[in-house]
Amino acid sequence: MDANQSSPPKLTRRNYSKIIRPIFGILVLGYILWRLYLVLIVEQAYSAEVWVRLLISGLIIGGVYALIAIGYTLVYGILFMINFAHGEVMMIGTFAGYFLFEITKGINVAGAGNPPLSFSDAYPFLSVILAFLVGMTVSATAGYFLEKIAYRPLRGAPRLIPLISAIGASFFLQNAAQLLFSPQVRDYANPQAIARGSGWNLMINESRIVITYTGVLTFVLSILLMIGLYVMVQKTKLGKAMRAVASDKKTAALMGIDVDAIISRTFIISGALAGAAGVMWGLHNGLVHFYVGFLPGIKAFTAAVLGGIGNIPGAMLGGMFLGLVESLGPTALGISFQLKDVIAFLIMIVILVFRPSGLLGEVLSEEKV
Amino acid sequence: MKLSRLFILAVIFVMILSACGPAAEAPEAEEPVGVDPTEICENDDFGCAVIAPGQTIKIGMGSPMTGGNAAFGIDAEQAGMIAVADAGEHEGFQFELIAEDDGGTPEGGAAVANKFAADPTVVGVAGHLFSGATFAAMPIYEELGIPMLSPSATNPDLTRQGSRVFNRVPFTDEAQGQAAAEYMFNDLGFRKVAFLHDGQDYGKGLAEIAAATFESLGGEVVELMGITPGEADYSPVLSTIAAQSPDALYFGGYTQEGVVLTNNMPTSGMEYVVFFGCDGTFGVDYLARTGANGEGTYHATPRTPPETPEKDGFDAAYQERWGQAPGELSPFSWNSYDTTTMLIKMVKEVSFVGTDGSLYIPRGALVDAVRNLTSYVGISGTYTCFPDGDCNIEGPTFWIVENGDFVAVN
Amino acid sequence: MNKETIRTGSQKGLLFGIVMIFLVLINFHIMAATMISKVLGTNVLRGAFPEVRFMIIFLVIFGMWAGWSAVRREGSTTNKLFEGLIGGMTTGLVVALFGLILFFLLETQTDVRRYLTALSFASIDIFLLGLRGMGILTLFGLFTLTGVLGGALAVGLRSQAVANFIKKIKTSIRNLRQRITDSLPDNVKKYGKYIFYLLLLVLLLLLPARWGSYNNFVFGMVGIYVILGIGLNIMLGLSGQFMIGIAALFAMGAYSVALLNSPFPHGLMWGFWPSLAVGVVMAVIGGLLLGLPIMRLRGDYLGIVTLGFGEIIRILLNSDLLTDLTGGPRGIQNIQQPTFLGMPFNDVSYAYLIIIAMAVSIFLYYRIENSRTGRAWLSIKEDALVSQATGVDVQKYKLLALCVGAAFAGLAGGIFAARNQFTGPNDHTLMVSINVLSVVIVGGINSIPGIILGSFALRGLPELLRELETYRLLVFGALLVFMMIVRPEGLWPASRPDLEEKGNTGLKEDLDPEENEGRSDD
Repeated sequence: MDANQSSPPKLTRRNYSKIIRPIFGILVLGYILWRLYLVLIVEQAYSAEVWVRLLISGLIIGGVYALIAIGYTLVYGILFMINFAHGEVMMIGTFAGYFLFEITKGINVAGAGNPPLSFSDAYPFLSVILAFLVGMTVSATAGYFLEKIAYRPLRGAPRLIPLISAIGASFFLQNAAQLLFSPQVRDYANPQAIARGSGWNLMINESRIVITYTGVLTFVLSILLMIGLYVMVQKTKLGKAMRAVASDKKTAALMGIDVDAIISRTFIISGALAGAAGVMWGLHNGLVHFYVGFLPGIKAFTAAVLGGIGNIPGAMLGGMFLGLVESLGPTALGISFQLKDVIAFLIMIVILVFRPSGLLGEVLSEEKV
Repeated sequence: MKLSRLFILAVIFVMILSACGPAAEAPEAEEPVGVDPTEICENDDFGCAVIAPGQTIKIGMGSPMTGGNAAFGIDAEQAGMIAVADAGEHEGFQFELIAEDDGGTPEGGAAVANKFAADPTVVGVAGHLFSGATFAAMPIYEELGIPMLSPSATNPDLTRQGSRVFNRVPFTDEAQGQAAAEYMFNDLGFRKVAFLHDGQDYGKGLAEIAAATFESLGGEVVELMGITPGEADYSPVLSTIAAQSPDALYFGGYTQEGVVLTNNMPTSGMEYVVFFGCDGTFGVDYLARTGANGEGTYHATPRTPPETPEKDGFDAAYQERWGQAPGELSPFSWNSYDTTTMLIKMVKEVSFVGTDGSLYIPRGALVDAVRNLTSYVGISGTYTCFPDGDCNIEGPTFWIVENGDFVAVN
Repeated sequence: MNKETIRTGSQKGLLFGIVMIFLVLINFHIMAATMISKVLGTNVLRGAFPEVRFMIIFLVIFGMWAGWSAVRREGSTTNKLFEGLIGGMTTGLVVALFGLILFFLLETQTDVRRYLTALSFASIDIFLLGLRGMGILTLFGLFTLTGVLGGALAVGLRSQAVANFIKKIKTSIRNLRQRITDSLPDNVKKYGKYIFYLLLLVLLLLLPARWGSYNNFVFGMVGIYVILGIGLNIMLGLSGQFMIGIAALFAMGAYSVALLNSPFPHGLMWGFWPSLAVGVVMAVIGGLLLGLPIMRLRGDYLGIVTLGFGEIIRILLNSDLLTDLTGGPRGIQNIQQPTFLGMPFNDVSYAYLIIIAMAVSIFLYYRIENSRTGRAWLSIKEDALVSQATGVDVQKYKLLALCVGAAFAGLAGGIFAARNQFTGPNDHTLMVSINVLSVVIVGGINSIPGIILGSFALRGLPELLRELETYRLLVFGALLVFMMIVRPEGLWPASRPDLEEKGNTGLKEDLDPEENEGRSDD
């Protein structure tokens, strides 16, 4: 766009952004550097173990954000619409995992120790895998029907229309969950082996740092899923078809790709990832209620935009980045934790001001934006 | 095309016109049999509410029943329903609880208040639950003389407005915050305490008053900070506070955040720090969801809730009707029952059957009756309303969690 | 009676069966029966259960609907009836299986409310029509029967005769309207539009004084959202900037009026009118501050940045940092009421104030839309590059759009705060921004009547739905999806959806580069 502006030079008399942007950037960056200097070098209030703890929690939450963000980005890449109900899809997955653990907790395995162990305590590995499978399946189904009912009839409508439909679907799902399961906050029944708070101990400066099993599980699994997804999109036939549909629906259809089927599958995949994120959320944070998807949904959407919406590595990077900023930011800048979202959003704004299509986003063509 | 659109618009306006009913009916009936309502009602500051035979005596309730705070509103409604069921009939008239969703916002509060104001059979409001909604609703009830009795709106400014109709039963932050700070400093011997709050009006006020008192006693306030409510992981903020190695962590807020904080403390370098909660974190839900992490934590209540048969009866009835234990959704189940019951009791006291068989409730007398409530023994405490509308300002009881149960310590 | 028949019928039947199960799981069958009971004149107290006969009516309607939708367009009458039968039977089968589970729960007195909160014994009992075991069979029979009835209804109503009848009625209505229009004197025909507006004006002037404070309140809320919607439409509809943070600008207006006009925290008592003016100015400044750094952003990136801006403002208003300035989470109370000619405001005067503010906003909007600025905005929306090339200062006009839109938002916020006599951070959440966005899109972008209708739909409807108690947002969400699917272009789409229809030539004249030279400074 800038390149085009220079062609009729007479007409671009005042290019405000050329002046404003550096001023804005210098102000914000200067402030951040000054605070960092103050906290890290002048005060030195926090020793290494604090930073390690913050880093760990940042990476864990970042992994969850990244998984949800991929869902936004996949759908956006193909339909150019913001799937506002994606956080609710995650909530459904969290509930599915919750019910699976309640069931496996309730089944007593005969003859396995005294007192009798429940299924989930006797076979923690199996029950966690089951929970993920159930959570991902249920969320994928939810994603599929969401697309079929709320978005498919709007194919071809201006892009803001499906957004409103998504908002309506989000209201519906949230309130349906509230009416079905009551607004009560429920506890995830983790298998004993990966109880919340248990983990490997690490001593730094004679201070115990707990690397929780659930945290490691969350982080490792989110990385694995991301790698898997990336490979799938790059290598498999379905992935190629998805990319083809993303870049040009009409041509893809002419090449014999069933566009509707590909879109459905995209929703299934993004739903499955959200479901996995939901079960992780439940295992690590231990609570589930009807509103559990709202905040992560908004955050993950932010992460997806931050990384460059439509771009899968961008969503991963954005999610991790957002998680780390949320966790490390307030402490590093010496600001109240009440303002951590302010820091996150402000950094996002600064990044977008300088890279208007996100961290990894290519400069998209006009019709895509 | 144009004309058809105008036609649609016209139809819509006609619909709106027809939808808006006539205004409140004036009391009629002046037959010289039984109690003549004319004189009493004319002398009353706000006139009488008239419940014709067949109508119900409506008690309103404004609470968030959708959105992130829905648990509070649903709980209050469920408890209020039990209160109405317990109230039975009065002179052949039934009570009915009309719980409306105000979303906890001022806008919603004003909408609900206006809705109640339009219904002449709403005689009292057990609410609103949230302070913001209460502020916006108050002037509307003030005008019509509808007494309010909130189970949970704790903003201290609410009773400083000189309102005639607003009363509440929860504990205000001032008394509790001071007592908590004194208890921590004098009895438990803490010298370094971090104060957290959830950023809402109740928790913030509480933590600020506690921190100020603690400092004036000579203690060190290592941190006074707000957190974002509604999150599922507070380990970053706890890790940061842990670096200052406080003796205790004081938290002003509700169970939801209190539980998450307590559960995150062991993995954030705060395993030796004592969690000190408030009356917002007191409840069976806290015990169930913190388990071993909750051992040794402190909490507060207005005053020892009496273990009366009425309370047991309520607990059983709540479980029976809703399939949940009271206190699982919010800490205000018992308060909500009490406020509804108190309003019903006052209505029963001031109302009379008129000559025409309708029930007359002098609104001004009802407002005064609620304000003059003395030594009412409810299931959540004994209440005496003070001239400013606070019905509960007696010193708190502190509790420690031992072996999965609350034990009173003072 | 081929395979296709059975397939469609059973698919639809299955769908309806699942929906029915969902409705029972959230206790909606009780709500529906209660509504039917109220419509038929038997009041049901809150928390009480309706009579079984109303439950049967609900089930009959539902079953007929299932049968109706199982019928395809083609096929013979017997085939259609058969499809209805299959549909109803499948629904009945699914529901009966579910009923069997419910019956089992009831017999063994298993309380599942810990997980499915709505499934109380009383609710199960009424769903089984109070017949317990027999209820399952009755349900199956009922759905089968009503499925056939629904099929029959479909056969009847979709038949050629009925279609012709409807056509006839439509023609006669059109004829009647034509005749009425023809019979009117020319003057009336010419000024018909104005007469209609005059009637509307009279209606608007008469109504607030007549229809009670609750309706005034709801109407006022709708009006405030109309003003907000106009503001957003200038940003979104005219200049094509995706804005999800209008709550921040709304908050600036509201907080200005609140802070300058209340005894606490600053004790400034400027009076309503000056502080309203300050509120508008503050909102414009806010729009400017927001717009300056982000002028290069487009599309959804702009959306997320404005969303972030809205959240930042809300968190700051609520934070410890600004508590001394803004009152923090406690908000600002006791906002002084405006007076007009010495008379204090009440609900009626607020309704008039909002009507006037609405009228002024609409007037200004039309003036702006048809001005050179408006056309410049539309051209930017269509193609920023081309309009830049034709001499439109894109950045200036984009910024201008944000500022003008912000002024409307500030006006709405100021009135809003004064009317509630209180404002706090909870009044300015993300939901407000989302609601305003929905108002504009549901109503129809760039269409003032659309925005008004959208406001009624989005702000008035939830109030009307209060009868539905806790189900209102569920129903509202479903209606939102439904509205978008049925009318994707909005309830009342703009008559000029884009410039290609007629605006193009005018635009070129207006934005002629040579002519622009001399006028560029205005």
